Amino acid sequence: MAGIYVFSEDVALGKQLLTPALELKKSLTQSIIALALSEADAKELAALGADNVVVLQSASKWADGLAEAVYTQVSKSQGSVLLVGGTLRGKGIAAYVAAKLNAGMVTDAKTLKIEGGKLLATRVLYAGLATCEEEVVFPAVATVRARTFLAPPASATAGKVEVVTVDGDSRITLGVVTPTGTAGVNINAASKLVSVGRGFRKKEDLKLAEDLAAALKAELACTRGVAEDEHWLPIERYIGISGQTVKPDLYLAVGLSGQVQHMVGCRESKVIVAINNDERAPIFEAADYGIVGDLYEVLPLLTVALGK
Amino acid sequence: MPKCLVCYKWTLDEQDIKIKSEDLSLDSSRAKGKISDFDRNAIEEAALLVEKNGGAVDALTYGTTTVKQSLKDCLSRGPEKVYWISDATAGNADASVTANVLAAAIRKMGQYDLILCGEGSSDQFNQQTASRIAALLGLPCVTFANKLSYEGETAKATRKLEDCQEEVSVKGPVVISVLSEINKPRIPSLKQVLGASKKPNEEIKVADLGLKPEDLQPKAVRKSVKGFVMQRKNVIYKESSAADNVAKLKASLASEGLC
Amino acid sequence: MNFELTEEQRLIGQSARDFGKEYLEPIAVELDAKGEFPKKVVQALAKHDFLGLLLPEDVGGAAAGFVSYVEVIEDLSRYSAAVASIVNNHTIAAYTIQKWGTADQKKKYLPGMAKGELLGGFAIYEHGPTPGVGPDTLVAKKQDVGYVLNGKKAFVRNAGEAGVYVVFATTDPALGAKALTAFLVKSDAIGVKVGEKLETMGLKGCPVADITFENVVLPETALLGAVNGGAAISATALAVASVAEAAQTVGIGQAAVEHAAAYAKQRVQFGKPVATLQAIQTLLAEVATDCHLARLGLRNAALLIEEGKPFEVEAAMIKSFLARLGSKMLIDTCQVEGGFGYSETMPLPRLFRDIAGTNLLDAPGDFPEKLIAASIA
Repeated sequence: MAGIYVFSEDVALGKQLLTPALELKKSLTQSIIALALSEADAKELAALGADNVVVLQSASKWADGLAEAVYTQVSKSQGSVLLVGGTLRGKGIAAYVAAKLNAGMVTDAKTLKIEGGKLLATRVLYAGLATCEEEVVFPAVATVRARTFLAPPASATAGKVEVVTVDGDSRITLGVVTPTGTAGVNINAASKLVSVGRGFRKKEDLKLAEDLAAALKAELACTRGVAEDEHWLPIERYIGISGQTVKPDLYLAVGLSGQVQHMVGCRESKVIVAINNDERAPIFEAADYGIVGDLYEVLPLLTVALGK
Repeated sequence: MPKCLVCYKWTLDEQDIKIKSEDLSLDSSRAKGKISDFDRNAIEEAALLVEKNGGAVDALTYGTTTVKQSLKDCLSRGPEKVYWISDATAGNADASVTANVLAAAIRKMGQYDLILCGEGSSDQFNQQTASRIAALLGLPCVTFANKLSYEGETAKATRKLEDCQEEVSVKGPVVISVLSEINKPRIPSLKQVLGASKKPNEEIKVADLGLKPEDLQPKAVRKSVKGFVMQRKNVIYKESSAADNVAKLKASLASEGLC
Repeated sequence: MNFELTEEQRLIGQSARDFGKEYLEPIAVELDAKGEFPKKVVQALAKHDFLGLLLPEDVGGAAAGFVSYVEVIEDLSRYSAAVASIVNNHTIAAYTIQKWGTADQKKKYLPGMAKGELLGGFAIYEHGPTPGVGPDTLVAKKQDVGYVLNGKKAFVRNAGEAGVYVVFATTDPALGAKALTAFLVKSDAIGVKVGEKLETMGLKGCPVADITFENVVLPETALLGAVNGGAAISATALAVASVAEAAQTVGIGQAAVEHAAAYAKQRVQFGKPVATLQAIQTLLAEVATDCHLARLGLRNAALLIEEGKPFEVEAAMIKSFLARLGSKMLIDTCQVEGGFGYSETMPLPRLFRDIAGTNLLDAPGDFPEKLIAASIA
């Protein structure tokens, strides 16, 4: 078996997949073959460490329909590993290929390495209650979600690009596609949140948080006190035991102490950052990064720094 | 009048699972069983389709000995008949084994116009079963549907993806996985609960499925499971200069890919 | 012997819990605050067959049995004991008609009651010393055709919302309770006057009021059971009702201990969750134990009722047990939650007020311990 295959219909995610692929390459000493949907995407992947890039050129615009084409590529050289970007489309494609390869597949792998001639991955179980290690024999398939890894730095040599024409899945007819707008507050969908507590002295001061949120492209959230007692923000933005539960990539808690009733609503955030002028505030124990300081001083500086 | 099949899994209720503080291992001895949350949506969707279009719903499940506890629960929610496979192999089955067994059973059970699954099971959430079954049976697959209708012989689904909603239609047999937002599963009325015992169930034995031993061996093997305990980096910047702290925080955020 | 519920009983309980979560949890606080009869919820209960649970299938009931019934009442009570009270009082009225009614009476009332179109009430208590005795006691005077009722009934639950009441009146004030007789009275009968709704400590939303009967004329066909047979009917019905009420107490207690336990795991004092402190562990353990044992006792009594076996002693035992320890479950869980839990935005204060209404003794003269002692000595 040979070949570490990498595919995502989203090229940004495809580039991120090259990072674990490069790690696996060190152990397996096999080429990395990236699959792309356009020559432009292929060139980007070729520049970041893919030894070969195959462009799956199809008249069909429905990426899901390329699962068979992905399978053909992986199986023809008996690839050892297939990493697929864990978008919703990607998961369907990956599972289809896994079935055709009669292979095991890890969904949403957090870490990947080779051990004992198998792919060893870690992932989450029971809605976040537990994590587990899964070992997959070759050929092994794994999906990896966006932002699990960062894209690798540029490689010394560019990989080779080839184009193949492939069919889509004619059994499925694509109808109307409606892009999702950004209208309306959906706290749960936001990948970044700036959450405010009563460290802010008055409603007008929330503008500091709004500016920071704009610089971060984040949504605003808050504690129960801010929503229910002060009525500075609507109830839909309140995070906590009887409010919303969120899992953003970034939860930036400003001027809130971090009581348990609040933290239970955001503890699964990927990165928690705290800004508070009380060093002993519980939020700091629950944070990955933090600044002990006056939010009135820190926020404007942070907004400017992030705006650059 | 579509002939519908819905596949469901009997899982442990994760709310009953405790983490042992000594070694972070999981204690599921007190955990009660339940039909996996998203499968309830699939069962409900099948029941709604059949209420609208006529036809009947069969259900299929593969599990260990506890799977028999699920039969009346399932039948109280709409299906007219449930096929069940109770086998020790289900104890450590991965998605490939599950799909092999379910696909083989479906080949035995007959032709269906619609095969519905939840988007993933509430315990492992592999999100693979629907796509795998479709691949093995040579059927098209539509995943992550939040809306479904059936006209003539055509299934129309709306998929909710990260950046868009897309409508697709498929003529002929198709496998569909549904999102939890597609419907609100009914609370079975007492008569529906009591009526479940009057509906038929049929056991299918793994030995009769014509599978090879390697088809029943998991390819993805769980090596260890640990309870999740919040561990944060706790990198706190306390310089006297706010500007210094901000610069350090920005660097940290950049390293996490957040800015 | 098997302590497990049957699959049907378990699934019925699951439906009741899911119903509670979906329909009762969102309204419980407002129901307690405003006390307005939850019409929509009652309609939803009917749709899920909860109001006809005990009634036979030929009148449209689910015939699910008494063990399923107490399971439902316990599960509903976890979310709103007030709504469970509405169901209980309705069901006891329906049960009484089912057990003692003529074929015609059953045909007249039970289908509507099973569907929830007709709500039931049970009018037994009076302001006087005991039903059948006292100046306001409800008297049923025999006429040429039927009876005329005059007097007052007290603390009638579902008063004003019920369409039919099971009413106990004495046919002879001289004989008092010995001449107690049961009647079926429609709420729209002339002379039936529902008094002002009482402000009760808890279980708000289940209306309680006195009902005055002013020359209410009833035909013979309104007689339920035998003339002067009312004492026996009310004794049995109240014994069954006491088991159903015990299920409310257990449901409330269970909700309280779960809430207190979750609180204790989160509330950190002196660097540790208070759930690690012995004082808290003791309180939680006692409540959990009492709740568990009460549930077993209550299921045992329910099974005896379902199987048509003698059950009065077991019913008295569970009633006695919870009269002593029911409210303690809330006293202890409130202690666990301390000042934080004392706020009306938290559930325990409401549960505290509710539970007190579920384990009240009906008649001090006939206290349960008397029956229990008589059974062994």
